[in-house]
Amino acid sequence: MRSLTVLYDPTCSLCCKAAAWVSDQEKYLPVNLVAAGSPAARAAFPTIDHEATRNQLTVIGDGGEVYYDERGWLMVLWALRKYRAMAIRFSQPGMLPAAKRFVLWVSRHRETLRGFVP
Amino acid sequence: MNIKVVTYLVYLGISIGLTVWVARTLHKSGRAFLVDAFHQNEALADSVNHLLVVGFYLINLGYVTLALKTEDPLGNAGESIEALSRKVGLVLLVLGGMHFFNLFVFNKLRTRSHVGMAPPPVEPNAFAYAAAPEASFAPVEPRAPGTPTRRKTS
Repeated sequence: MRSLTVLYDPTCSLCCKAAAWVSDQEKYLPVNLVAAGSPAARAAFPTIDHEATRNQLTVIGDGGEVYYDERGWLMVLWALRKYRAMAIRFSQPGMLPAAKRFVLWVSRHRETLRGFVP
Repeated sequence: MNIKVVTYLVYLGISIGLTVWVARTLHKSGRAFLVDAFHQNEALADSVNHLLVVGFYLINLGYVTLALKTEDPLGNAGESIEALSRKVGLVLLVLGGMHFFNLFVFNKLRTRSHVGMAPPPVEPNAFAYAAAPEASFAPVEPRAPGTPTRRKTS
């Protein structure tokens, strides 16, 4: 894995803040942040369902590996220097279902939650 | 020599002997851990190992000498053995605590150094063969390993 591309929802302010936070962090490998459904995203990944990427975080590795939702988040955390150990911990079989529930809950309530994020 | 002096000398003999034994064990068996933690840099591993052992000696011998004095009456051999057993028991517990703390440090150093090389933690959900994403977007350059960690201010 040499780079990751993150397709985030540009119409969701929580997602944009998360993307800004990710781009600020120190990384082990380059993370390209691309608006989901944009012409750039469609040109780069013609084979994936771009309508679906508006509603679920999608992360694509340089080898074409596609990760959705909690797996996408874990891959992004894995790319960050300060959070790789955390990503490994939450990827254990015992923790993965909880990580999935948490990510889906945040994703479902992202409009409500955006008021709580400074 | 009265019984008190004999008790103290026996206490010092046992405690120092135990400290030396634990320190040598740590030095011998901890080396492999450290060599792995420092990515086969044996010179650095040996140096850290030596420094850890020096710290171990200082703390344990410091405790042993501070804990030498006893207020217990040492009238006969029985009382002397009781006092000795209490003192040596405490030394053993301190040595055990220090030993586990050292193991914890070794392991922490080792796992931390391995995080940077860990493979992706999850399997992908699907595959989409990308048309060279690096060419389409300007990638964010990652910092080289070992550079000082400083947050970007921009």
